[in-house]
Order: sequence, then structure tokens, then C-alpha cells
Amino acid sequence: MITSTDPAWDEACERLEKFLLAHRVAPRERMLTLALEWLREAQTLHATDPARDPITAALSLATARTDEWFSRLVADSGPADPLRAARGRAAYFSALAGKFPIAFLDPSPPSEALAALRSALFQAGPELEFQSLVRKEMDYGAMEDIAHETWEQFSWGHVLRAFALWVAVFFAAWAAYLKFFA
Amino acid sequence: MKPFARAADLPSDAASFRQALFLATGGGITIAGVLLVASLYRLDGFSVLEVLQMALFIPLFGQIAFGFTIAFWGFVVLLAGGDRYQIMRTLPEPPDSAPPGATAILLPIFNEDPDRTFRGLENMFRSLEATGAGRAFDFFILSDTNQPDRWIEEEAAWVDLCERLNAFGRVFYRKRRVSIHGKSGNVADFCRRWGRRYRYAIILDADSVMAGETLVRLARVMDANPGVGIVQTSPQIVRGNSVLQRFLQFATRSVGPIFAAGSNFWHLGGGNYWGHNAILRLQPFMEHCVLPELPGRSAADRHILSHDTVEAALMKQAGYQVWFAYLEGGSYEEGPPNLSESLKRDRRWCQGNLQHFWFLFAPGTQFANRIHIFFGLMAYLTAPMLVVFIALGALDHHQKEVFAALSAQPADPTWTGGIPSSMLLLGLTLTLLFLPKFLGAGLLLRRAREFGGTTRVVAGMLLETLLSILLAPILLYFYTRFVVLTALGLRVGWKTQNRTESAIPFADALKTYAGPTFVGLAATTFAAWWVPSLLAYLSPILAGLVLAIPLAMLTSSERVGNWFRRTGLLLIPEEVSTPEVLQNLDPPSPEGAAPSGVRHFQGLARLATDPRTNAIHIAMLRRSKSRGRLKESYLASLRQRLLQDGPDALPRRETMALLWDPEAVGLLHREVWCSPNHSLHPFWRSALRRHDFS
Repeated sequence: MITSTDPAWDEACERLEKFLLAHRVAPRERMLTLALEWLREAQTLHATDPARDPITAALSLATARTDEWFSRLVADSGPADPLRAARGRAAYFSALAGKFPIAFLDPSPPSEALAALRSALFQAGPELEFQSLVRKEMDYGAMEDIAHETWEQFSWGHVLRAFALWVAVFFAAWAAYLKFFA
Repeated sequence: MKPFARAADLPSDAASFRQALFLATGGGITIAGVLLVASLYRLDGFSVLEVLQMALFIPLFGQIAFGFTIAFWGFVVLLAGGDRYQIMRTLPEPPDSAPPGATAILLPIFNEDPDRTFRGLENMFRSLEATGAGRAFDFFILSDTNQPDRWIEEEAAWVDLCERLNAFGRVFYRKRRVSIHGKSGNVADFCRRWGRRYRYAIILDADSVMAGETLVRLARVMDANPGVGIVQTSPQIVRGNSVLQRFLQFATRSVGPIFAAGSNFWHLGGGNYWGHNAILRLQPFMEHCVLPELPGRSAADRHILSHDTVEAALMKQAGYQVWFAYLEGGSYEEGPPNLSESLKRDRRWCQGNLQHFWFLFAPGTQFANRIHIFFGLMAYLTAPMLVVFIALGALDHHQKEVFAALSAQPADPTWTGGIPSSMLLLGLTLTLLFLPKFLGAGLLLRRAREFGGTTRVVAGMLLETLLSILLAPILLYFYTRFVVLTALGLRVGWKTQNRTESAIPFADALKTYAGPTFVGLAATTFAAWWVPSLLAYLSPILAGLVLAIPLAMLTSSERVGNWFRRTGLLLIPEEVSTPEVLQNLDPPSPEGAAPSGVRHFQGLARLATDPRTNAIHIAMLRRSKSRGRLKESYLASLRQRLLQDGPDALPRRETMALLWDPEAVGLLHREVWCSPNHSLHPFWRSALRRHDFS
């Protein structure tokens, strides 16, 4: 049984702090306030499910809250969607994290922050304009015909048979030489 | 005479005349050499061995004769103040005020060091912005990277770069899911998606850097010449640290210019394309230069490995000119750091060039392109020919010695003849081989101050000549091997070039260069025993082979290379005064970097723990079309293995499968943060301790 004074909650607090630091939450006072707020909430939830690890309890809460906010950043309605949340998170880091750190988790961010956010939805490529590339038949001339004829006639079986024949001829000649001339 | 204001003004007979002159010079020297050999063999009648040697001598001597011819005409052109038919002379004066045509700058990458690659790109972007014409250019990083860490690092580096330069919408990143047909496939993929948006494309290599002014001039010269399909620049090798890199960068400055000028002299608008540091006209490129299939029995046989020469031939066949802007500055690349890397590249080139054989006789291939293809083939085929030629020569010489001893004749009748033909031939061969170096040095001395002064230029030339003599037999050995392996159907794939790590450890040197060393020792023993009179003549070849291991190690040494730099040896102008576009390309010292375990999988660590990197990666992926239960449980098992057993637990392919799935990547991030310490592998605990990996 883990209690709220358990060192495991220290670890959870530490992890929460890192999580917020990784999100570049500033100033520090706000970061600590958020961490403590979530920690208290997690402890309350933990009371109903004591088997749950404090880190899991605290960070699940934190990720759920942030994902919900990030989802809303890019779309006002609809359930929090992990992919939408990721897009929102990317935009947050591009537009808000440096210039408007105070906007983090703000349910109604300032209009300048929203304008910056809209311009920060980065593109990996411009609008597609498809072009089909058609491979043309190449005429390689007589060499191609010769090569095809050779490939059609070539077989390793023929090579092996010829090799075996010449080995046999060699040994026969050698045997004859040893018998009659040596 | 009509001024050369447009490429279309090139007189129709100019190229034919110059090609005739070029062939006459090269052919004449070859015939002179063949006559000298014939006069040697004729003394006692032609034997079978001599006929065989003669058959090999013609292409071998022809190769050096034509090499010399290129250098000779290049020297003449440069001495006369430059060719009147140079494509960059068609640039309008004063320059157009209108922006140049829309140009995409393509940077195909494959597991390259993102730090170096993106620093180069940043320099080019800034340099281009400084010209005021930057808006006409977009950059595309086309990634075929298949190492998970590198992929994540590239994405993060791209976003960092765009944020730093405010370049979203100007610098794009594309990661191919299925990397087929290497670089040419990557460029084709760009053409299919965005080719229609741009008039031109400038193709780079991962280590290419081009000055903004050069990029703009290339686009403008294409604007001015609608009949030109490709303009290839002559990239200068720079930033050499190892001995080999310094040797290469100096050689490209000393003999490079005369060979470049000589090449332009004979081919004019029928030039070649080297696959990078060049501008292409996209519309005809997409229409006419889609790589055809080669005749072959398997799909691998039919795929063209070395695409550039073929693309130049197809462009020319379609009626567009291909020019070589050999005097244009501001185009750079880096050399391979050591001999092993250089040989790896050669093996790829060898295989690619030998495939070009099919185009040699293809109807429709233009004459100039046939010559390019022929030279490309001969660059490698002459290696086994030379080996056989030397062996036959030694055998022939031994037989003659034995015969002379038995019949009490002079040992070598050729030395006692009226005309010392053999000496003449030796003198001619050495002249053809070394005169271009001296001609190049002569021109270099006019700019000696840029290269550290006259004494250093002369010392550099001597050192470069010595190194090229010593390295030539090692190349001979490996080229012969590559030709034989290619003939046996053994292929090589597209591998990442190591552009950074230089030093070859002894164990690796021993493993790679034991072959040439053994051949060198065996040949020395054989020659000392059977043909001792030839030992002195063979010694330059034998020395290179016997010393292959120490030479490979020495040329890979950055310590010796840097000592050369400090003493001013093999110096180039960019080291005396570094252009802005080449500055700050080296990453900062590794101080403050992540701990070693994390550093090894830094990209993966960032992906899982850093919310920004994770979000960027997911935002770049397409949502999975189907998410069956089977796939979900497979991806869940991969995540579990990764978290519990660390990144070493997953093979690269499985990690890549995980990384291609946006939901799985999102869940990985959440699970790393939400898992208690005791259920995480130490790698992740260490990664979490460092919340900032940037």
C-alpha cells in the first residue's frame, strides 16, 4: 500500500516536473504550481485505486490533460485524438513554447498566440502536382539480340557436361600416355 | 565570327571539328606507341605472346594517350585565356533583374550525419538569401534513411533549421517509405510529386555545398538557354583532413582544371552529368530521362545503377545540350576519408560503368556520349588488361632470356638495335603519364600565393606525384578484382558513405589489404627468381602492392594530414581563405552531449521522451489505413520489448515498423513517461533524466 508520504510520490513529483520542463513551461513558479496541482489530483485518484503506481497515476493525468489541450489547439470540437494532439503539440512547440510560455494549458489562449499557432502548422512538402514518369522502351541494337540469344541457349547443364567431357578426355589421354609412352 | 551569346549560337560544325582534332591527337599518339612496340617485336618476328601483348597494348596505351590529349588541349585552352565556347559566357550582362526560374534544390540523403548535412544546407540557404534571389529556390531534403536514429535526428534537424531560418514553406523534408532504386529513385519520386512545380532542379550530394551566387547563376544560364538540358559544375574537393583527402583536393586543383578544360574542349554541348552539383531542366528530364531497363534476366540486372551518364545521354538524345561549367566557382564536395571508402565508391562506380556497355552500341546514342561511356568502361576494364599485359610481358621476357642464354645471344636484342625503341617507348609513356601533372603545376604556379607559395606548390606536386605512383598499383589490384566480381554477377548495393571517420585501424587494414600485399610479395619473389632484369622496371608497381597496408593506414591518418596542413603542404585556396559558405560546417565539440548509452540511440531517446520531437515525427506520418487487432498486438509487443529490454532488443526493421506507425509512436511516448522507474530499462531511465536532448 502506497501512501501520500511514500517516497514513490517524490519520484512522481520529480517526473511531473521533468514532464513540464520538457514542455518548456515557464515561469518556474507556474510549473511548480501545475505539478503540485496534478500531484494532489493524482493522490485523490490513487486513493480509489491504490495498486496503481504513483508515477503512472500522476503522469497519466498529466498526459491526458495536455493531450486534450493540444487537440483543442488545432480543432475546437471533437474528442481528444492522439494524432490531433500530436499536431497541436508540434504547433505549440513551433509557435507558443518560446514566445507565449504562459499560454500553456490556457483554455482560451491570447489571440496573438492563436495567430502564431496557425502560421506554425509546418508543411513537409508543397502542394502535390503529380506527374507520371513514363519509361520508354530502349533500343539497344544488335548487342541486345545477341545477348538474348546467348541467354536463351545458355544452361549450366551444358557447361557442366562439356566440362565433364573434357576432364574425361584429359584423363584418358594421360592414362594412354602413361600406359604406352611413359 | 558570331559571338557565343547563346548556346544555340554554337556553330554546328564546332563540336565535330574539335572531336576530329581530339581523336586525331589521341589516335596519332596511340599509333606512334603501337609502331614503337611493333618495331620492338618485329626484330625477331612476332611470337604468339607478342601478338597477345600487342592486342592489349593498343587499348592500354590508347587510354593514357587520350588522357594526355584531354590534358593537353585543356592546357592549350587555359593558356590562351579560356575557351570561347563556355556556357557561363552566355549569361546576360548586366544580370537580369527578374527572378530566375523556379528551382528546386534537391538533397538526397541516406543515413548521413544530419549535423553536417544540415549545416551545409543552412549555409547554402543563407548564401542564397544574401543574393536577393532566394525566393526562386526551394530546398528538398529527400531522405532514404533506414536507420531509425538517423531518421529522427533528420526530422528534428529539419524543424530546428526551419525555425532558425524562418524557412517553413521553403525547406521541405520528405522521407520515402519504400526506398527503391537509390538516389535516382529518390529524385524520380520528387519529380512525380513536385516536378511540375519547378522549372529546374539542382541536384546535390549529402556533402555538397554550393554558394548562393553559383546557384543563381546556374538558374539564370538555364533561363538564357532554353535548349540546354543539364549544366554540370566542377565541384572542388574541400575540407580534407586525412592524407588521402588532402591528396585528392590538391590533385583536383593541380591537374583537375586542365582535364576539365580539355573535356569541355572536345565535347562542348555533349557533356556528361556526374549526378550532383548540377542543374537539370525538369520538364525534358521527366519526359525523356526516365531510366530505361537494361537487357537482363533478373530485375536486379535490368536496373541501371549509375544513372547520371545515362541521363546525360538521354537528354542529349532528346535534343538538349549538356554543358560543363568547368570554370564556375562556388561548387564544393568532400573527398572520401580513406582508401577503403574510396574503393567502396569505386566498386559501385565500376559496376555502374560496366553496365553502360549496353548504351555504347545503342542506336540513337550520340557520338560524344558514346565516348563518355567508352572512357567510363575503360577506366575499369584497363585494370585487368594491364595485369594480363604485365604477366605476358614477364613471361615473354623470361622466354627470351632463356633463349638468349641457350643460343649465346645478347640478353635483350632490343637494347642493341640501331634505334633504342624501348627507351623511346618508355620515355613516351612516362611523358604521357606525368606531363599533365607538370602542365597543371605550371598553371598552378601562376596562382602560387593562393596555394601557400611557390615552394609549397612544388613540394605539394612532388608529394602528390609520389602518392599517386604508390597508390596506383593498389587501385590496379582492386579494380581488377571489381571487374572480375562484376563479371561473375556479384553485386553491391547502395551503401552510406562514411564521410567522417577517417583512420583505418591495423586489423581492418590487414583484412582489406592483405590481398594486394600478398600479390606484391609473390610477384616480387617471382620476378626476382624468373626475370631479375625486370625487377627494377616492375618496382614501382611492386612497391605500391607490398606497402598496401601501411599506405592505407598512412593515407587515412588525420594527424599526418593536419601536419601537412600546418606545414602548408597540399594546401588549397579555401584553406588559406575559407569562403563563407564553407564556414562552421563542423559540429561543435561533444561537450555536454548525452551519456554514451543514450548517445548511441539518441534519436530514439528523443523520440520517446521529448514531446516536441515525438509530435513532429507523428505530424509527419500518414495515419494508418488499417489497424487490425493483429497489427495492434504486434506493435504493442514491440513497444513492450523496447521499454523493458532497451533499444538493443529490437532489430532495425522492427524499430522502423514501429516508427512508421503514428499511433504506436504516440503510445510509446506516453508509456515512457507514465511507466514507473522499476519497469523501465535503464536506457529509458537515463534518457528521462535528460529531458532536453537538443
